[in-house]
Amino acid sequence: MTIQGLKRIDSNRVEVPMGYKKGMRTKGVIYVDATLEAELDKDSVDQVANVASLPGIVGPSLAMPDIHRGYGFTIGGVAAFDVTEGIISPGGVGYDINCGVRLLRSSLRKGDIAAKISDLVNALYRDIPSGVGSKGQLRLSAQDHRKVLLKGARWAVEQGFGDREDLDHTESLGCIEGADPALISSKAYERGKAQLGTLGSGNHFTEIQHVDEIYDDEAARSLGLFKGQVTVMIHTGSRGFGHQVCTDFLEVMQRAVIKYSIELPDRELACAPFDSPESRDYMAAMKSAANYAWANRQMIMHWVKESFMRVLNAGPAAIGMSLVYDVAHNMAKVEEHIVNGTKRKLVVHRKGATRAFAPGHPELPPAYQHTGQPVIIPGDMGRASFVLLGTARGMEESFGSTCHGAGRALSRHQAMKQAKGRAIWREMEDRGIIVRATGRSTLAEEMPEAYKDISTVVNVVHAAGLSKKVARLRPLGVIKG
Amino acid sequence: MKEIEYLDISGDVGLRLRAGSLEELFEAAAEGMASLITDTSALGESEQKEVVIPAGRGDDVLIAWLNELVFLFDAYGFIGRDFRVTFHKGELRASVSGGTFNPAVNERNLLIKAATYHNLCLKKINSHWEATVVFDI
Repeated sequence: MTIQGLKRIDSNRVEVPMGYKKGMRTKGVIYVDATLEAELDKDSVDQVANVASLPGIVGPSLAMPDIHRGYGFTIGGVAAFDVTEGIISPGGVGYDINCGVRLLRSSLRKGDIAAKISDLVNALYRDIPSGVGSKGQLRLSAQDHRKVLLKGARWAVEQGFGDREDLDHTESLGCIEGADPALISSKAYERGKAQLGTLGSGNHFTEIQHVDEIYDDEAARSLGLFKGQVTVMIHTGSRGFGHQVCTDFLEVMQRAVIKYSIELPDRELACAPFDSPESRDYMAAMKSAANYAWANRQMIMHWVKESFMRVLNAGPAAIGMSLVYDVAHNMAKVEEHIVNGTKRKLVVHRKGATRAFAPGHPELPPAYQHTGQPVIIPGDMGRASFVLLGTARGMEESFGSTCHGAGRALSRHQAMKQAKGRAIWREMEDRGIIVRATGRSTLAEEMPEAYKDISTVVNVVHAAGLSKKVARLRPLGVIKG
Repeated sequence: MKEIEYLDISGDVGLRLRAGSLEELFEAAAEGMASLITDTSALGESEQKEVVIPAGRGDDVLIAWLNELVFLFDAYGFIGRDFRVTFHKGELRASVSGGTFNPAVNERNLLIKAATYHNLCLKKINSHWEATVVFDI
């Protein structure tokens, strides 16, 4: 569909000009080639324009090629706001605070597990609680719950879920400073206490993969990746705990909008000046949820390792599993960026977008100082996922951000209609991929055709220079909620 | 009169509701949302919960009502089957009867994270009420 009013900048970028919608304070830029532009829907473009109307926005309102309609902010949206004149919006982070992805490498080759894929998938399905209504193996005491919020993945490591080195390979070392458990509602505590160590539902998954293509030999070596290698990807977030934090603070922000006389084109964009008590409270609560999510992924990773060791009857050294990196893709962070030659402190919202810092950035761990930040991009369950690296161009142009996944092409209803009469699990098995899901219609809703082609999405951010391709991963076995 | 229409939205799902009274509309919203999560007719033993939502803007009360039900499900596994809503000086008081969801037995459909303010609409048209609500799933 051609959307009136957009201006193509080059083969990977279109502009949403200032006049596209009333009230815009800046232009929008959407990273799409001609193929993905044809798949754009007007609502998501309108959302890019709506974000451009928020106070204190710095630079353009951006959207990555996996853009699709969200609530308030589009999915795939990136927007930076001045810390003195700008705002923070829970809708620019999303309900699943610190939803993110982690990638494990192993010393195993595809052939080593070929005869055991079904057993591994079944073990993961049994060991990692997933799906609607599932509860974890832990019941957090009030004291431990607060520790999770303050320490994040570090809490999980202290409890024996993983190693100290895992933290070095996690964004923000798996714990963002400034969390405040006192600002969390009793409802969020109730929702969170039995959900730590659970996968969730919808598009969350744990996937066994193999590296089938290397695009940059040297970078792949630095990340410990090689062709034919078995990897495991985990995609989940802060579960009901984070959902409740967002719900609670959207209510707070609805009142803040009136208090601070902020005009909004969509109530889901509710926000407050960044320099306000409402924003300070939200940031401290959001950080608590972010830390919960890092603890969650850390624990699930531990069970993945245990499942592999049990099924393969092998020790830790034999499977050689370690964390490549863990990235958040629903988050707001205060960062320093150069804008028009001046260093500025900004609050960068990434909603369905991944941080992708360039080589040499002080926030990167020593192992990735020379490569740039690893970026983990999950695709659909039938095609591929990708590993990329952050670039200097991305720092200059997109506040060090890139895409986060494939982005939906079909609504859930459309996907179910197309899947009617088909056995998706068998189709996947015919492609050599074993899938297990708890939900009645999860496989239909999540079938590969329901998503844009991840290769097209990744090729756009690569060609635009926002991040560079290192390796492609193909699925072998998937568990979903 | 109570009508529930399911809306197809790319990443999410919504409800368009129509009812003869505001009370019925809120009941329809709750029924519609519960049916997105599971087949409520298959729930076990009946339990009763009382819900109170403070007075406020009508559409805010609708979101708070649905998010209270999301909370009861996500925290305690309780899911409503029958809803009786009344308003007293704008305050919502509801009696909800339902059961506890058992993931091993009950159908597992959508995991609803929250009812959102996105494109939220609640209005009276002539003699009936209409609303649109989008859920994050």
